[in-house]
Amino acid sequence: MYSLHKLLWDIRKDPDLADRYRADPDPILDSYGISGEDRTAMRELDFKAMYERGFNPYLIYFCAIQLKVDRADYYAQIRGEKN
Amino acid sequence: MAQTTGRVVGAFTASHSPGITGWPERAEPAKRAAVESAFAEARSRIDALAPDAVVAVSVEHFTNFHLGNLPAFAVATSDSYLGPVTKEMGEFLNVAQHQYPGHSRLGRHMYEFALESDFDPALVEGGLEFDENFCVPFKHLDPESKYPLVPIIVNGVNPPWPTVRRCHDFGRMIRRAVEAQTEAQRVVVIGTGGLSHWVGLPESGQINTEFDRDFIGRFESGDESRLLSYTAEEIDAAGNGAHEIRTWLVAAGSVQVPFDVLAYEPVPEWLTGTAVAAARV
Repeated sequence: MYSLHKLLWDIRKDPDLADRYRADPDPILDSYGISGEDRTAMRELDFKAMYERGFNPYLIYFCAIQLKVDRADYYAQIRGEKN
Repeated sequence: MAQTTGRVVGAFTASHSPGITGWPERAEPAKRAAVESAFAEARSRIDALAPDAVVAVSVEHFTNFHLGNLPAFAVATSDSYLGPVTKEMGEFLNVAQHQYPGHSRLGRHMYEFALESDFDPALVEGGLEFDENFCVPFKHLDPESKYPLVPIIVNGVNPPWPTVRRCHDFGRMIRRAVEAQTEAQRVVVIGTGGLSHWVGLPESGQINTEFDRDFIGRFESGDESRLLSYTAEEIDAAGNGAHEIRTWLVAAGSVQVPFDVLAYEPVPEWLTGTAVAAARV
């Protein structure tokens, strides 16, 4: 859990990291050692999957906002109304 | 003449939803008026108490701490605190970014007294920055940031959380700490957070009015057995944000008297069951 939790927090705190993640996520996912289903969920910004996998909703939400995801879109996705 | 020891002269609690300051106009006008009037009443009572220091108790939302180091309790001892943490958050909350004064001597005493009292909070000597936890309610309660603060952070954002009983005990320890020093004669305790709300979850925007009204009933009764009987699961029924009521338990422990709830309004537009309360000191 910790690697992705760390990335979610780092993106919340570091706008430059957020920009770099939006441009090219794979090198950052590599550097955090995030693999498997966690990586798929984060790479696709599948917030619902992250929530279902037990990640902290505050961190998922704050990270989404930092990645310039619209709040309404975030909630539509987490409610399963939109992919 | 020997200096007299300090006293907790008042305690207050309030919600800290970003909407309270960030987008107040979206609430129904009557609800907004009730909440703002309650904040104004609390502010005038605080001013009348003329505190030398305010012990400010809240959670923090992954602004300072993260899952590599998440204290159950933390005591800050700095002489100033930046809030809101970023300019962007300042715009979001509609709170101008500024330095809040800290009461470092009382903070240091509080930390030492906690250790001597078998509590083991994290020490935060500097660098603590505020998010909505303090910036939102203090815009109403102390708009000029004139009262020096001792910020105390309780984990309300990631399970497992400290028990409600432990939070109440922490509040009782705060009172003993205040009474064991002479630096700050008149101390007000302010707890912020809650009531029901969900952050980042499918239920976000719902309000659990049944939970909120029951909690208010317990809080106003001063019946500690009812107030301290909450399990984490019971609180979870009112959302991940409802775990912030731990800050209300700390405030309650610091005075151990019933509170008057000055306003309670379920405000879906602010995503929160919104309340302001004052201890019947």
